[in-house]
Amino acid sequence: MSDHHSSKDRTGLYREEALAEIQESLARWGRDYPRERERLDKFTTLSGLTLSPLYTPASNARIDYRRDLGFPGQEPFTRGVYQTMYRGRTWTQRQLGGYGPPEETNKRYRFLLAAGAGGVNGVFDYPTLRGYDSNDPEAFADAGRGGVAVDTLEDMQTLFEGIPIDRISVSLVTCQPICNISIQSMYFAMAKARGLSLHDLAGTSQNDFLMETAVSIAPRVSPPRVAFKLSCDAIEFCARYAKRWNPVSFAGYNYREAGCNAWQEVALVMANALACIEEMLRRGLRIDDFAPRLSFFFSAHSDFFEEVCKYRAARRLWSRLIQERFRPENPRSGALRFHVQTAGVALTAQQPLNNIARAAYHAMSAALGGAQSVHVDGFDEALCTPTELASLTALRTQQILQLETRITHTIDPLAGSFFVEHLTEEMEKHIARLIDEIDGRGGVVKAVEEGWVHRIISDSAYEYQQAVESGEMPLVGVNCHRMEEEPYRPEIFAVPETLAVQEAKLRRIRAERDSGRAWQALDDIRRCAERDGNLMEVIVEAVKARVSEGEISKVLKDFYGTWNPPLF
Amino acid sequence: MNRKIRVIIARLGLDAHWRGSVVVARALRDAGLEVIYLGNQMPEAIVRAAVEEDPDAVGLSSLSGNHMVLAPMVLEGLRREGLENTPVVLGGTVPPEDEAILKKKGVAGVFGPGSSLREIVEFVSRCAEEADEVEPDVSGRTAGEAADAGRSKEQPTEEEGKVL
Repeated sequence: MSDHHSSKDRTGLYREEALAEIQESLARWGRDYPRERERLDKFTTLSGLTLSPLYTPASNARIDYRRDLGFPGQEPFTRGVYQTMYRGRTWTQRQLGGYGPPEETNKRYRFLLAAGAGGVNGVFDYPTLRGYDSNDPEAFADAGRGGVAVDTLEDMQTLFEGIPIDRISVSLVTCQPICNISIQSMYFAMAKARGLSLHDLAGTSQNDFLMETAVSIAPRVSPPRVAFKLSCDAIEFCARYAKRWNPVSFAGYNYREAGCNAWQEVALVMANALACIEEMLRRGLRIDDFAPRLSFFFSAHSDFFEEVCKYRAARRLWSRLIQERFRPENPRSGALRFHVQTAGVALTAQQPLNNIARAAYHAMSAALGGAQSVHVDGFDEALCTPTELASLTALRTQQILQLETRITHTIDPLAGSFFVEHLTEEMEKHIARLIDEIDGRGGVVKAVEEGWVHRIISDSAYEYQQAVESGEMPLVGVNCHRMEEEPYRPEIFAVPETLAVQEAKLRRIRAERDSGRAWQALDDIRRCAERDGNLMEVIVEAVKARVSEGEISKVLKDFYGTWNPPLF
Repeated sequence: MNRKIRVIIARLGLDAHWRGSVVVARALRDAGLEVIYLGNQMPEAIVRAAVEEDPDAVGLSSLSGNHMVLAPMVLEGLRREGLENTPVVLGGTVPPEDEAILKKKGVAGVFGPGSSLREIVEFVSRCAEEADEVEPDVSGRTAGEAADAGRSKEQPTEEEGKVL
């Protein structure tokens, strides 16, 4: 036997002597490597890391197996957060759905569940996300667009009519805390009305304050500190009353869609999560009470290996950060669980069927990166809300990946690749460096207030577009392999009539409801804000008085004021 | 033109898609245009900004599907204020059928996903310069009169310009 245990504590991947010999041969091989015969001046990842022609054991010389890779289900979770990973349970096929009035979206949920989807992923329309009722003068043109319209508890009941929320997990894409505080409360009130205990509910709400203040920004949103407070109120509420619910899903996906590169996506997510943890500790919770329920949401973009390594690096770094900063007793507090959506921004309106191939590669990177749940975009993503056919094809793409390719049969199959381990290290370094920078700026809330977050996102978006424009970033059908005539024109999804439907309901509810009780409920919310109490505790009760989301938001906006983010 | 071309960029309604409008705004600015970026706005606020700022063009962004409701309201508002000469350019996810209708209503250009920044910058600059050539100070007419005189039969009537 060789002396590969040169030190008792170290579990390096290669013997020192072997590494030295490989280094030497590599140098010889590199000396007469004909650079001039390469296709490009520079080979980089999508986010701009320069790649070598070849990776070898020498690229992994610093890796210590136990410290850096370990075993699935154990710290630092590089190889996965569960011991059995997809051999035990494959990722949840969680296709996004939402459009028009709740009656219509309910049909799509039932359709997807009947077709084998494992969970519901409900997205809300623009007015709901911004805290407006469907018929608000600011909102009427967007009612039912981009998601489903929910104005009152009754809409929430309609949305989940006949769906067994005690048996399947439900994701509420509430995006902004101003939306989440009402919508999640309505969901909980709906569950209670069904006789369920909140502790039995499995699911996730997005509830990310950066979504309100730094991504998809608009004038007159909640000030960053208020959006952050509203988000934290939901986290605290769930830690106390809904222990299986993931009260926040840090939406790196959306930061990426807005322009971030791969490590900015992860660093912003983590800086956000670290700030939430500190706030929860300040409110008197213990790290292990809530950290295992923090969940993350990432994009799967077009650079296959960069994405796989991003997920692996994120898991490792999160585990380390939690260990170093908060010393939890439960190792699950540092286990980073995440949902992935394939990158909408990578899809094209030109030759839209090509998007089926793109999204399949994206989804494969998520699977090889150990995602807990996945949404695959519809091929018509760049054109409209997905049609039933596009949704079904996306679901089938997941099923083919899970059932036919057999990539699920062994855990973390790309581990040990010289390239993958090297790139995982590089990604971790870049993410950690940016987190340090955000810390140095006084944390993520301050970085948002000062417009720094907006600036880095917009800079990256602009660089990306310049690369597409110059052809440096090939995009089939857009800057190469273009066609004058589209070979196939997909059906464009028509959003069902929403405004009239919702307006009629709102009018009826306002006429029918006990006005005294409704006004009392809104007053309770105001008083809770005045004493800086936990708003979700009050709103969960208030929605039973049939007050609308718009009415609740108005109370909050009147009390807290609004903020105009740096727009550009 | 002796001053910089001035462009207003706004996202229609509550549309959350931010990237396209920001990237186009930066490209216009880098090309030497003056950009007033309004973020999300309803038509009334966009028209009010146009009255106050007297832009050479108005750029609207919509990826939420609200373009058929709100873009005509912007056109109508500009017309009401005598600013029908100010070209309106729309970017976002606009199906071809909608594009044809909106152009008939008076939208000067529509740029969908995959459009090149260079083309957008050239188009906006050209539109703004062409509009400038029929500015009223040449003849002493108001902008509205100049536009009425220059309006061809193909241009939308008030009736057609109404909200869908």
